[in-house]
Amino acid sequence: MSCERFREQIPECLAGRLDPAARERLVEHLESCAGCRTEVAELNAVWRAMENLKTKPEDAPDPAAKARFLAAIEGYKAGMGVSAEQQQTRRVLWFPRRPVWQAAMAAGLLLAGIFAGRYVAAPRQEAPELTQLRSQVESLRQLVALTMLQQQSPGARLRGVSYSEQMAEPDPQVEQALLYAVNHDTNVNVRLSAVDALQKFTGNPEVLRAMVDAIGVQDSPLVQVALVDLLVQVHARGAAPAMARLAQDARVDEAVRQRAAWAMGKLGGAQ
Amino acid sequence: MILDDEAIMTEVRAGDVGRLETLFDRHQPALVRYFVGLTGNRPLGEDLAQESFFRVLKYRHTYQPGANFRAWLYQIGRNVFADHIARRKTEVAMPEEVPEIRGNEMPPDREFQKKQEAVLLRRALAALPGDKREVLVLSRFLDMKYEEIAAVLKIEVGTVKVRVYRAMRELSDRFFALSGERAS
Ligand SMILES: [Zn+2]
Repeated sequence: MSCERFREQIPECLAGRLDPAARERLVEHLESCAGCRTEVAELNAVWRAMENLKTKPEDAPDPAAKARFLAAIEGYKAGMGVSAEQQQTRRVLWFPRRPVWQAAMAAGLLLAGIFAGRYVAAPRQEAPELTQLRSQVESLRQLVALTMLQQQSPGARLRGVSYSEQMAEPDPQVEQALLYAVNHDTNVNVRLSAVDALQKFTGNPEVLRAMVDAIGVQDSPLVQVALVDLLVQVHARGAAPAMARLAQDARVDEAVRQRAAWAMGKLGGAQ
Repeated sequence: MILDDEAIMTEVRAGDVGRLETLFDRHQPALVRYFVGLTGNRPLGEDLAQESFFRVLKYRHTYQPGANFRAWLYQIGRNVFADHIARRKTEVAMPEEVPEIRGNEMPPDREFQKKQEAVLLRRALAALPGDKREVLVLSRFLDMKYEEIAAVLKIEVGTVKVRVYRAMRELSDRFFALSGERAS
């Protein structure tokens, strides 16, 4: 099967709709084809981002719209459906008459609706089969996250980091890749995002130790502060002595030392 | 007892138009999302959904008993949209300006990034050709299966698959071009 045929299956795979046999063949192909891996990584990033564009399904129609429709039904029952249609036509034509501000208003409404949470529905229970599908694509996600973390462009690596955060199961390889990114990525934004993403792994004491070590080798005060903050956030009491040393270290940026002193207080390390 | 859409529509077709209320309740919100996805414009989307349900009422006798109701409804919706386009060349509303990340000094806030990403993506979507935008709205926003999309568009399932892929490919190209690898 050609790369093109495999690539055509990617959206179905991302939607969790590809049947298991086809998915296995796709994953097998991805293991040996860097081009298609990149394709998966890119399409996946966009597929995920589209989630934020979804206007959340409303439970019920807008009452005004429903009232108009019920009136039309009544009109039909009474044998005067025509007037309802005329009324409708007038509304549709009215709308685009002032295109500039109407469009601006519409865009504003749309965005306000999405961002102000007007359409945020209560979290709904996932159907069991959906949960199952999700776990089936999980291994593919890990593969994708790893692939993205190894990309040339910082943008792709950033997407890899944020993608890794969406994985339900923390994966050791991804954990290592994130730690590596914190310590060695040339881009500060990628390092900061990797610190955020590490939050899921802080149950592992090894990761906490690695984070403390990472503070010492960081050249960016921003990343150092982010690491300190995360340690405080997860109540890493074991990190208190390291914070004490950091607060005293004259080679460390002043802001970082102050943050470390604050962290020491929070972690109960000031004896 | 909860009747399925097809059973209800069959009753509507037979003259019990009052039963349309149930179908309106079940499908109007998603139909609005379909039109908002196509036009980027909520009031317009609501108007077009309204028009679609008026046509369901008016053309109820053209429903083939037993046929997938949702597919039939969206076929009507597509006609409404086509008529709207013919009446007036509407532009897809352009989303507002993209917020910029100011240098490396400001730690990228996750919510901020998501918002910025959503704006760019909405623009990229608005720039897609209509047929590509449509399959993405149906598959990604309304979670329709390829079989159902094929029924709505009256094309082969294999064609849907290729079209969704090409639409994703173009959307992704446009999206990354717009974002210009901002993080670098
Ligand atoms: Zn390939």
